[in-house]
Amino acid sequence: MPKSVMFTLAIAVAALIGAEVTLWLAYFYAPVQITTGSLFVSQPTMGVPTNNLYESYRIFFIHLPSAYATALCCGLGLVGGVMFLLTRQDKWDALTVSAAEIGLVAGAITLLTGSFWADYAWGTGKVGSGWNWEPRLTTMLILWLAFAAMLAMRSSIPALALRQKLTAVYGILVAPLYPLVQKAIEIGQTSHPRSFSDLLSAPEIAITKQVSSICIALVFVAAIALRFCWNRAAIQLAAERAA
Amino acid sequence: MSEPSSLRAFTTLMRREILVELRTRSLLASMGLFALLEVVVVGLGFRALPDDETLRRAAPAVLWVCILFAAIVGINRSALADRDKNLHAAFLILPFDPAIIYVARLCASFFFLCIVEAVMLAAAVPLLRLEIPREPWLLAVLALTNVSVLGAGVLLASATAHAKASEALLVILLLPVVTVVFLGATGATDAFASGLGFEAAQGHVLLLCICGAMFPGLGILLYGKLHEG
Repeated sequence: MPKSVMFTLAIAVAALIGAEVTLWLAYFYAPVQITTGSLFVSQPTMGVPTNNLYESYRIFFIHLPSAYATALCCGLGLVGGVMFLLTRQDKWDALTVSAAEIGLVAGAITLLTGSFWADYAWGTGKVGSGWNWEPRLTTMLILWLAFAAMLAMRSSIPALALRQKLTAVYGILVAPLYPLVQKAIEIGQTSHPRSFSDLLSAPEIAITKQVSSICIALVFVAAIALRFCWNRAAIQLAAERAA
Repeated sequence: MSEPSSLRAFTTLMRREILVELRTRSLLASMGLFALLEVVVVGLGFRALPDDETLRRAAPAVLWVCILFAAIVGINRSALADRDKNLHAAFLILPFDPAIIYVARLCASFFFLCIVEAVMLAAAVPLLRLEIPREPWLLAVLALTNVSVLGAGVLLASATAHAKASEALLVILLLPVVTVVFLGATGATDAFASGLGFEAAQGHVLLLCICGAMFPGLGILLYGKLHEG
């Protein structure tokens, strides 16, 4: 078995163990969250915020690392795009596609966990009641749609060379969307917390957040590595067929 | 053949774009008619609104959507016309930097889109009872939005023109990228229309400035890379 595949499998195994550790910490180690802090910014038109999150906040340990993973995917898409245009090596194209695929998954998890949490924290508890088109939710949804658009584009262009070049260019164009997601809370009215410092003041929660960030990031890195191996082989096959 | 100066190449390409449009009038006709139809359809949809205040608040955002789609129609039409005559490939073998082709196409599209916007606003004033705020900053918002949308659009259209279902593909690729611009444009317009002044619109104008510099900048850098080899 090639060394790169062995390495990828090793990351995948470590990621699976990390995911189990995260779940254990999130559900059994971190305490129930009852605070009088100011976790949610109160806005008159943005639903009713709550500070007593009880069990609902545990979704944070999946939500935040997934958002970090989406950022990582944006960055890898940018690196892959730039490097492909400079070197024209297939591996960089495979990296951009893998980043988009896993970015799509990570973005979906971020959006779903964020929405479920918002239903409780900002809404009435009914599914969808927390979705209030506030800037961070909206910009994250746009980023997710951009990843989906990139993958849709790849299936629409039969010529491999054009497909690879356009993927690289689109990877570069999509990358600046993530800083926008980060800055979105400063642009308009927002109900998204600007800082989690109140929540993280409890040491158990802070430790769980650190561990979950590393472990969930490892899960997504393993997924990117596995997809990278697959996509690289698929691109090589397509190039051989085209030749 | 000696290489022409960048300015000469640019003016030649711009002249060509405008002359072709003056002779055929296909781009302005399709964009303009599309924009007018959008205004009429929106007006029909809005007639059931309970009061003018709701219409006044919603009209700027709706107009930006109309402008966005009119721009996409124009970019697509232009790219497909080049594809049908294989002009794009011919331009690329000319002895100058391909980025000049991009800049010329961007400037020509900007010029045509400004004309279409003027026509659309003239129609929207009576049909949507639109009140245009007397705020000079709105011109900057308009210019930055146009440059940003066209900056990304011209780059992507030149590549998607050769794909299957290229019209749909351009929309799918372009909309997520330029929704950021839309966010800035609607936010700034809303602030100016409400009479809140530049202070309230500052964040959105800054966002538009970033997009207005970033998308054409990336286009200039990437256009040649996208079409070489």
